Amino acid sequence: MTLSRRALLALTTGAIFAGGAASAQDMPAPFDNPDDVEIALVRYLSTGDFFQAYLGGVEAQAEALGVNLRVLDSRQDAALQSDMVDQAIALGVDGIIIQHGLTESMQAAAQRAVDAGIPVVAFDVDVENEAIPQIEQSDYMLGSLALEQAIADNGDAFRAAYVYVPGIAPLDRRDVAWQDVREANPGIEEVAQFGTLDNPIANSVANQARSVLQANPDITVVFAPYDEFAKGVKIAVDESGMSDQIDIYSADVSTADISAMREPGSAWVATVATNPAVVGEVSVRTLAMMLAGEEPGESVVVPPTLITQDFLNENDISNMDELAAMMPQFAHSDVSVPDWMPLPPRN
Amino acid sequence: MKSESRLIDLAIRYGFLVLLAGLVVLFSVVAPGFAGAYSAVFIFQSVAITGILALGVTCTLVVGGFDLSIGSVATSSLMLSAYAMVVLEMSAVTAVILCLVMGAVVGLVNGILIVRFKVPDLLATLGMMFLLIGLQRIPTEGRSIATGMTLPGGGTAEGTFSPGFLQLGRHRFDLFIENLLPAPVVVFLVVALAIWVFLELTKHGRLMYAIGSNERAAGLAGANVNRYKIAAYMISGVTASIGGILLAARLGRGDIASGNNLLLDSVAAALIGFAVLGAAKPNAFGTAIGALFVGVLLQGLTMMNAPYYTQDFVKGAVLVIALMFTFALSERKKSGGH
Repeated sequence: MTLSRRALLALTTGAIFAGGAASAQDMPAPFDNPDDVEIALVRYLSTGDFFQAYLGGVEAQAEALGVNLRVLDSRQDAALQSDMVDQAIALGVDGIIIQHGLTESMQAAAQRAVDAGIPVVAFDVDVENEAIPQIEQSDYMLGSLALEQAIADNGDAFRAAYVYVPGIAPLDRRDVAWQDVREANPGIEEVAQFGTLDNPIANSVANQARSVLQANPDITVVFAPYDEFAKGVKIAVDESGMSDQIDIYSADVSTADISAMREPGSAWVATVATNPAVVGEVSVRTLAMMLAGEEPGESVVVPPTLITQDFLNENDISNMDELAAMMPQFAHSDVSVPDWMPLPPRN
Repeated sequence: MKSESRLIDLAIRYGFLVLLAGLVVLFSVVAPGFAGAYSAVFIFQSVAITGILALGVTCTLVVGGFDLSIGSVATSSLMLSAYAMVVLEMSAVTAVILCLVMGAVVGLVNGILIVRFKVPDLLATLGMMFLLIGLQRIPTEGRSIATGMTLPGGGTAEGTFSPGFLQLGRHRFDLFIENLLPAPVVVFLVVALAIWVFLELTKHGRLMYAIGSNERAAGLAGANVNRYKIAAYMISGVTASIGGILLAARLGRGDIASGNNLLLDSVAAALIGFAVLGAAKPNAFGTAIGALFVGVLLQGLTMMNAPYYTQDFVKGAVLVIALMFTFALSERKKSGGH
């Protein structure tokens, strides 16, 4: 009985490895015995396409490595997330990924994990700890790449509306890009600023944008650095029949965003995005490097990609998979890839 | 002395309507582009969906109940319509019918929980709210629904939102000006009129008010209390699902959302409605005016570039003032009876 169970285990392990590029023998410890390695993903945010795709990336990379993954999801409960780190420590996991959260609640918990000798990486949350590398999707670059495109399309003088809600970390970092670009280009005039996170966000933003467009009919550019915002603005632009006059620049991308951008005459001309699945893979790889005793650096930045409406139309792209296929720099990242690292299957 | 009290009565009766008119005039002067048919239309449009939900909640308030599940019924119907068309590739008509049936069934379950199982209304509908927030995410594993999305089982969704369905949220009827009146506004006005007629002019409506003010007396007088209560929750469920259908048609995709903001906004509208015309009770006309009042304020403020956090403050202030009107009034009525 024991024997057959072990045989079964070996079989499944073998099956997992068949998917990966490297076999266990080539990998440094502890990955020569990946079945004994367990990593924990402690999440703060999990609802929505972005977070679902991020989890997919984490799972794919964990599978490629052959390690066990334990997902602890606090569902936006800051106190619970901190408890979950302690829970992971108590479970004796080998490494922890902290995904989002609040600096105040996570800093002490992250320190406890480090004190317990467990390698930790943090994605999109600053836990103020030198031993913990930050994985970032560079929100500043998301904002500045979109605005560079706006200037390329519209010149350096235009009347713009800006969608922003302060106090949300990624939006705050994108806001810095907007402030910098405006400072460098005094011809860009912000005639209106609005924004809300009332659910469903696109619908609430659409209502606001209707008013803004009515009050400022001379707007030509809308900078909406979050795709839910951009969706809302697009609805309002369509409803007020101003699609020819207005260009929308945004950040993030999803299958639904692609179809909105590709609607005939769509005002949504460009977006800048990092593939959340790639960020998930990079998170696991960075943690794996630490487990193998390598030094990934204090901050690991996954660079974003500019996606224009023209590009989508020219290549007839209708969903995320096709986008990834046509845009290799979007599909994969060379960040945190030492020689021994097995990668998830790429198509 | 007497003229003074009449003045106060007038203030209570027409105060809110005067305030609404005053606001419209004020914004027309200060906010460029506020005055005009287009502004009026999109103010109506911005409140149409919460207004429809608020009318449903009004019916449950009338029988002395409360429905916390309307927001999640609306978002469930948003997801269900998207799922039916995009994943199951059904027709628009089937999708709409499915949603309405779903709303009615949820209302029925709410009603049965409250009437037969004696679960307090707030708790029963709170449970239903969580149930639906979770349920709507199960088929897609938490993803939003759009054409071309990758399905949990592999493969991509090939269906699309049918153009006819999208017209429900986007079509504009001609009214003096071409392409002026959006379909959701028309639906809102029709639902408002229907619920007003039902509550004010039919025997059933009056019985529901009677149940709300004294359940036992209404029961002794021969009203089938349980059946009317269940009916109120079913009306609430169906109107909420109508709101969700319109939301789906406007967004053109199945967005996962909890619908909590929809719930709060529509409850606020219904409560503000208590104060309109000094009714001091839930009523359809007041609810519609209440929704409109919030819409005028929010759209006017947005046009004046007021930051987003003022909006919640303003909603709260309006609600508090409206409740003051309502309760001061019922106090006066009581003391007047002595």
